[in-house]
Amino acid sequence: MLTKLALRNVFRNRRRSAITLLVIVFGAVGLILFGGYKAITFRGLRESTIRNRLGHLQIYKRGFALAEAKKPLEYGLDDFTPLRRAIESDKRVRMTTAQITLMGLVSNGDKSETFLATGVEPKEDRSMNAQKLVAGTDLPDGEPDAIIVGRGLAASMHAKPGDYLTLMSTTTSGSLNAIDVRVAGIFMSGVKEYDDRAIKMPLAGAQQLLQTAKVERLLVLLHDTDDTAAVRADLTVLFQRKHWALEMKDWSQLATFYHQVVLLYNGIFGFIGMVVFGIVIFSVANTIVMSIFERTREIGTMMAIGTTRSSVWRLFLLEGLFIGLLGGMAGLLAGAGASSVINHVHLMLPPPPGYTQGYPLRVMLQPGVLVTAFLIAVITATLSSILPALKASRLKIVDALGHI
Amino acid sequence: MHQQPLVRLTDIVKSYPLGSVHVRALTGVSIDVGRGDFLALAGPSGSGKTTLLNLIGCIDKPDSGRIVIDGVDATPIPLHRLAATRRDRLGFIFQTFNLIPVLTAYENVEYPLLLQHVPARQRHERVHYWLNQVGISDQALQRPDQLSGGQRQRVAIARAMAGEPKLVLADEPTANLDSVTAARILDLLEQLNADTRCTFIFATHDPALMARARRCLTMHDGAMVVEPRLEARAS
Repeated sequence: MLTKLALRNVFRNRRRSAITLLVIVFGAVGLILFGGYKAITFRGLRESTIRNRLGHLQIYKRGFALAEAKKPLEYGLDDFTPLRRAIESDKRVRMTTAQITLMGLVSNGDKSETFLATGVEPKEDRSMNAQKLVAGTDLPDGEPDAIIVGRGLAASMHAKPGDYLTLMSTTTSGSLNAIDVRVAGIFMSGVKEYDDRAIKMPLAGAQQLLQTAKVERLLVLLHDTDDTAAVRADLTVLFQRKHWALEMKDWSQLATFYHQVVLLYNGIFGFIGMVVFGIVIFSVANTIVMSIFERTREIGTMMAIGTTRSSVWRLFLLEGLFIGLLGGMAGLLAGAGASSVINHVHLMLPPPPGYTQGYPLRVMLQPGVLVTAFLIAVITATLSSILPALKASRLKIVDALGHI
Repeated sequence: MHQQPLVRLTDIVKSYPLGSVHVRALTGVSIDVGRGDFLALAGPSGSGKTTLLNLIGCIDKPDSGRIVIDGVDATPIPLHRLAATRRDRLGFIFQTFNLIPVLTAYENVEYPLLLQHVPARQRHERVHYWLNQVGISDQALQRPDQLSGGQRQRVAIARAMAGEPKLVLADEPTANLDSVTAARILDLLEQLNADTRCTFIFATHDPALMARARRCLTMHDGAMVVEPRLEARAS
């Protein structure tokens, strides 16, 4: 009977209930949209960080991470072919690619700038889609002296595809070396500070400049990011078995920016959650308090004919619960609808700080986000009824019956 | 052997705070109400009728004195622990009917039976019986706002009687009804008293109700002024 009474009372003052439900629906939609946006942003950022830059795992010579190298590539990998073959035999591995990072000066004959170069295997690098070309071509195969230059650096050096530049750096033996390179293309990564200093060159060219046959690290890309931990564990066993003095880092240890974004967005999500929590609390509490005020005489009557305090308390708690359930369910539907609309209209967001490109606003409906939004709606609505319900159950019957 | 009264009030005092002063609503009232009585509490507004009814109904506590209902001394028991006493022994009829608006006539009558955990089948039979007794069975599925004042009071009477109480307390049960409807309600209450031997106590201004009461207590300024015993009607 309490359930029936509570349900009917929810629909008793339809306008007020509708406004309360709308508040809950808006709150739930807000949570679902931001949660969905957060989820798709995290996934997109994670996958782009992994597949365009870091790989799922990076393998170095043991000591690389902690030791302070006195010379370039002092902790480089000598002959990584057996290592690569062993890793690529795992079906979960999509590919491996070797890289070298180096710094130096780039000159066009008139001026020099510092550069930060990455020596890559052209074919593998192209498949990683690490950068967007704005002029010329990507790194060609079999041309060690071709480079692609970040847009900012190219502008600074007045370089265009086909021009020649000189790269100068310290070799692995500590002496200086310089090579002439041809600008094959100009790229942008989206991060201006990086594009103002960045060069990409074939691994062979980088090795030629540094006068070495070593590479700095081997990147491992998997088909599925969820396999990272398992592959890492298997590789650790493999290295021990083969007595290879190697060390490994996974993408999560390297993706500082990703973790900063996750922290920031989770903080915003938490703040929005708190705001929604507060709004729903006050809205539902107001509805229940108004309802109790209007029904004071009715409560007095119910208690006079034998309804216990706890039953009155449960009745109003149930009303809060039903408001939360109805609002939560309506919120889920509205949230799903709003997500669908947003994903279809292809809204573009402005570039985030440090980026030069905007990106499309998309929302991913995740079960976790839906459940969270629903639970927040239900729990806050129920919690907000506790005190008013307690107040109702403590009414003095005589006063309640005399209430006008 | 002398039968114990259903209600025994001994030296009841009750006062209310009104601003900075305390108004004495009852000043040492003592009465016995026998089983099967049809008793009217008469008196002007503010004489203490409703206060006395509230105390007998275990919905208010006296400042001093003793209240025994059906052998249970209700005086030391907190009001919220008297819910079961109200549920099982008492029925209430209010001047403004006080039906639960979201429930149908049937459900309003069923409500006290649900509180008493009466099994479904028995509950169904009793609700239909009482709706029939008060002549409202055709309106069983109507909600209170779809019923006239007289019909609502009939539902309220059925609700009060459905729990098979020993005592029904009615506060101005005819005050909100026209004279014809009020007379019909009085006929009904009288009939129920005769049929069930349930005790009825009314607080009333209504001379018609006073005239029909077998016993009428008149109150003034919180005290009993006279207790004329009215002869039972010939019927």
